[in-house]
Amino acid sequence: MADRISALDGHVTTGTFGLVPDDGPGVILQPLPDLSLVQVAGWPDTLRAVGARLLAITDAVSLPGPGKAATVGAVSLLRVEPLKWWLLGAQAPELPAEKGSTLDLSHSRTRVRVAGRDAAALLNRFLSLDLRTGSFPPGSVASSSFHHVGVTLWHADDGYHLFLPRGFALSCWEVMLESALQFGVEVRQG
Amino acid sequence: MSARRLIQGGRIDREKSLRFRWDDRVLSGHPGDSLASALLANNQWVLGRSFKYHRPRGIMSAGVEESGAIVTVGKGDRRVVNTKATMQELHDGMEASGQNAWPSVRQDLGAINGLFSRFFSAGFYYKTFMGIPPFEWGRGTGMWMWYEKFIRRAAGMGNASREPDPDHYDHVHGFCDVLVVGSGIAGMSAALAAAEAGLEVVLVEQDWEPGGDLLGQYGAEAERRRQGMVQDLQTAGVRLMLRTTAFGLYDNGVAGLLERVTDHLKDPHRDLPRQRFHVLRARQTILATGAIERGIAFGNNDRPGVMTADSAGLYLNRYGVLAGEQVVVATNNDSAYNVALDLAGAGAEVSVLDARARIPGRLSELAADADVNLRNNCTVMKANGANGIRSVNVAIRSGGTRSGGTRSGGAWKAGSRQDCDLVLVSGGWSPVVNLMSHRGVRPTWNADIACFLVPEPHEGIRMAGAAAGCWTVNDCAQSGLSAGRAAARALGREVTIVDAPAPGGWESPIRPLYEVRIDGWKLKSLVDPQHDVTSDDVRLAHREGFVSVEHLKRYTTLGMATDGGKVGNVIGLALMAEALGRDIPEVGTTTFRPPYTPVSIGALRGRSVDTHFRPLRRTPLHDWNLAHGATMTMAGLWHRPWYFARDGETISEAYVRETETTRRAVGLCDVTSLGKIAVQGPDATEFLNRVYTNPFAKLPIGKARYGIMLRDDGIVMDDGTTWRLGETEYFMTTTTAHAAKVMAWLEELLQTRWPDLRVHVTSVSEQWSGCAVAGPKSREVLAACVADGAILDNDRFPFMGVIETELKGGIPCRIARISFSGELAYEAYVPSDYGPAMMDLLWAAAAEHDGCLYGLEALGAMRIEKGHVTGAELDGRVTLEDAGLGRMGSENKSYIGSALRKRPELLREDRPRLVGILPRDRSQKFNAGSILCHPDAVSGLGEGWITGVTHSPSNGHWIGIGFISGGHEAWDGKTAIAADPVRRGNVEVEIVSPHMYDPDGEKMHG
Repeated sequence: MADRISALDGHVTTGTFGLVPDDGPGVILQPLPDLSLVQVAGWPDTLRAVGARLLAITDAVSLPGPGKAATVGAVSLLRVEPLKWWLLGAQAPELPAEKGSTLDLSHSRTRVRVAGRDAAALLNRFLSLDLRTGSFPPGSVASSSFHHVGVTLWHADDGYHLFLPRGFALSCWEVMLESALQFGVEVRQG
Repeated sequence: MSARRLIQGGRIDREKSLRFRWDDRVLSGHPGDSLASALLANNQWVLGRSFKYHRPRGIMSAGVEESGAIVTVGKGDRRVVNTKATMQELHDGMEASGQNAWPSVRQDLGAINGLFSRFFSAGFYYKTFMGIPPFEWGRGTGMWMWYEKFIRRAAGMGNASREPDPDHYDHVHGFCDVLVVGSGIAGMSAALAAAEAGLEVVLVEQDWEPGGDLLGQYGAEAERRRQGMVQDLQTAGVRLMLRTTAFGLYDNGVAGLLERVTDHLKDPHRDLPRQRFHVLRARQTILATGAIERGIAFGNNDRPGVMTADSAGLYLNRYGVLAGEQVVVATNNDSAYNVALDLAGAGAEVSVLDARARIPGRLSELAADADVNLRNNCTVMKANGANGIRSVNVAIRSGGTRSGGTRSGGAWKAGSRQDCDLVLVSGGWSPVVNLMSHRGVRPTWNADIACFLVPEPHEGIRMAGAAAGCWTVNDCAQSGLSAGRAAARALGREVTIVDAPAPGGWESPIRPLYEVRIDGWKLKSLVDPQHDVTSDDVRLAHREGFVSVEHLKRYTTLGMATDGGKVGNVIGLALMAEALGRDIPEVGTTTFRPPYTPVSIGALRGRSVDTHFRPLRRTPLHDWNLAHGATMTMAGLWHRPWYFARDGETISEAYVRETETTRRAVGLCDVTSLGKIAVQGPDATEFLNRVYTNPFAKLPIGKARYGIMLRDDGIVMDDGTTWRLGETEYFMTTTTAHAAKVMAWLEELLQTRWPDLRVHVTSVSEQWSGCAVAGPKSREVLAACVADGAILDNDRFPFMGVIETELKGGIPCRIARISFSGELAYEAYVPSDYGPAMMDLLWAAAAEHDGCLYGLEALGAMRIEKGHVTGAELDGRVTLEDAGLGRMGSENKSYIGSALRKRPELLREDRPRLVGILPRDRSQKFNAGSILCHPDAVSGLGEGWITGVTHSPSNGHWIGIGFISGGHEAWDGKTAIAADPVRRGNVEVEIVSPHMYDPDGEKMHG
């Protein structure tokens, strides 16, 4: 099998850059390559049944509601739209068309982890989302616009995960990295 | 003129010196200085020249309302014009200079304009449109066209750098419960009250220190109070943003903030943005924005050495600068007395001219104790001196005033001359209601304290402190507390409400005074110094009929300078009210609009500049293409290969070679940018059948079909192929240009018109990387790359066939046998991360057949030869029939646009139809965009237009595609003219079928 070449391959220089405070860089940027992402969609009257299938796959205690996510081990489930989930790190369930549909989107997004004490501040340079902990705690998911590009943001336990449309990923990465320099930024390899 | 730094006092650090350059002089100041205070400490008075008359100007205030000390700061590409020296924090090495003057602000040849000031009165520019009487009476404005350029050259203040801005700027989105604007005692009290109720509070302050008016008060007590409150704010968790201006309020609690990050630094870190543009969303907003002291219009009230009384107190108490030794204070209210006493305490000889008849006993006693000379019923009539103040002429009240507060004839008479070197003025205070005005709230006039107020909260926005008309420190504190608690209550917090104090607070009421005019004296009294608008200009506007306050503003430009009317609006209103014989409330007020203070273009643009002006969209093959010699071009947001030049080739040579090679052997082209949409669900077939004009109900699995979708009005929206992958699964392609539009359109249809259809549409444009393999050898090339080459046999994989298979190496792949070039061709798609691997396979195979890579230019050439339409043709005006695709419109079903495409206008036979275009003389060329005309009528809109042109290697000459009335049948045997009057001129052309290459499709189907 050929190697996957991500949108950021050859464009990421690891290290610490910018105006780094005494207590270390405020932002960690880390591309997470080899995304495994399947969209699972139901119909209004089959949503519960599709959800049950997903629960079985993920071993999650409960199905995440709109704008929420659940993670068990390496598998995560993000409720990205009223009738759609994103399943990360697991194979798609078999669904008859009458129940719903699945769609592999693993190559459509470039995933970047944004972590560190200034992660939210950096993201708010671009996203008009209220990222205060009370409004967007870990386990939250939202769609928004990042430098004119539609993106999905997930607040995971290890920071924010930004899902960038692949074609725009490098452009978004570059402008985000430029802005991150003011906080001091550590770029890690995925 | 004798301003000097005192040896003690103020908030400056005398231990350190900051050296800075002012024009050709090197001066020094101290940390804590503003540029204005440092210049004042160096006894520099003439700092600017006025807009029209080039009158000398000095420091007139200590804040954002500054109208005199407007200077240029910085050099080279960091030169910033129209900086208010009063708001510029001094730093070591700063370079500042005067502007609007030559050779310098101290000796300015432009001052000659002042001699002709009667010609430059209100509406001067508009009057120039009328021509010069009597030479141009009734004959237009020809001369204006000549001298207009001189007027334009003379206009404007300062010369901005023409070099690219070297700094970068950030946009920031923020959220909070309560936004408090202004960190004076009211703002700090409000912020504290809200924070103590458990709310998240942001307190913004345009200054570099918190404290507002407390910074300018004399004594340790004020400083202790300030420091204590700042400490309390920190303890309560209030986020204090210094050097940040709330420049505008917008819908739903949105505030625009401008944070100046590095403007005060000598050598800012390169990674810090110069400024940040914040969009802050607050649930409640408290405006503790203070008040601005007004002047009084008297003769030469703009001379260097005339400033607001409060600012002299600030220079003294905050910066340790005594602005004059012999000071005349002209006031009509109590507020100037503290300043007078402070100045006297610092050693100045002070006279107070109070326009009021009676002065409170306590103030009189204080004045007497401090040796302040106090005269009631007096004010300043005229300031004397050229570049500074030598004396004033005193005016003495000789009668009463009429209601409305402005002067009436004979109210003042000329008095004696009094020597002085500084004139301080207090004509009352104008609460800063600007931000509330941004929300469409009209402030109301409070005659008791002679100012506009907004007494009621609006949209969760409250006024507090001096901005609410509270004049005493304790009232401001209570006003802030009241507003903070009210905001907390509005957000559901259990807090005790505190009554807001009533506006006012002076011991003796203000006696309104806006202008001092004395019969027999011709005085140049400025109302809006920044735009050189005088009191006579206001009266002239009235005489010429511009009596509405909005007309007055535009005709005289009163209030339209960079201070936005902070200084002159109220006085201008008062003068107009007097001219009309009305009171101020009857005349109204102007509406303040954002920004409160200027916002740099750089801050507005943020990081959307240079390569990030718009996001760049790269295909997964981007780097691969570049590594193989691609020259890229923009296609919407995409970067696509334009051509692949070999050694020394021009673009023309390259695309002709690429076209010939593809037609002769094989070519590869990155087509990833085509829109791709997954259409899934039990009703997917029905959905497509309603969207497309042609039948889709019976498309077999494993086949693709070309489809066209119309808008509701019957005009073509987009075209593309849709592949049936399964019973309930389709893969739709769109044009590159309309991918997002089509996606949004399909979503809209499903969500608003047909919610009963069980269909999901998902953009998979980014999921799949595509390559067109075109040419007679394309089958061999592709066969060498797929795991099982036999599946590509013509019988198993005919034209418009679709297969899902694997490339060698196990790369999943879907292929359709479709052609945009007119050749035997395929489009192959793999998951995007495998795109480069696919290209490595295909390119190695193509090389075996002497193939090539081709870009957009060759792709365009081949599609023009073939007569395929693109976005250039489908421009929102074209019907199916116009595009020569009438047969694609099914008569047996209903679909989007099926009804309105039958409108008579759209069925006219003489509508412009798609055609091919050839030069009559085959050696000639013509341009895209040319108008096609009848040879006898080469004018106007003509008979059609040309949308695309190319050299056609297949035909050996230039060809084009476009539209012409009636189509090619109507022009058979006739000549048309391709008219291109501003470029190539007229070229005779033939009109032919758009299918100029392999019209029967034998190659494509072979």
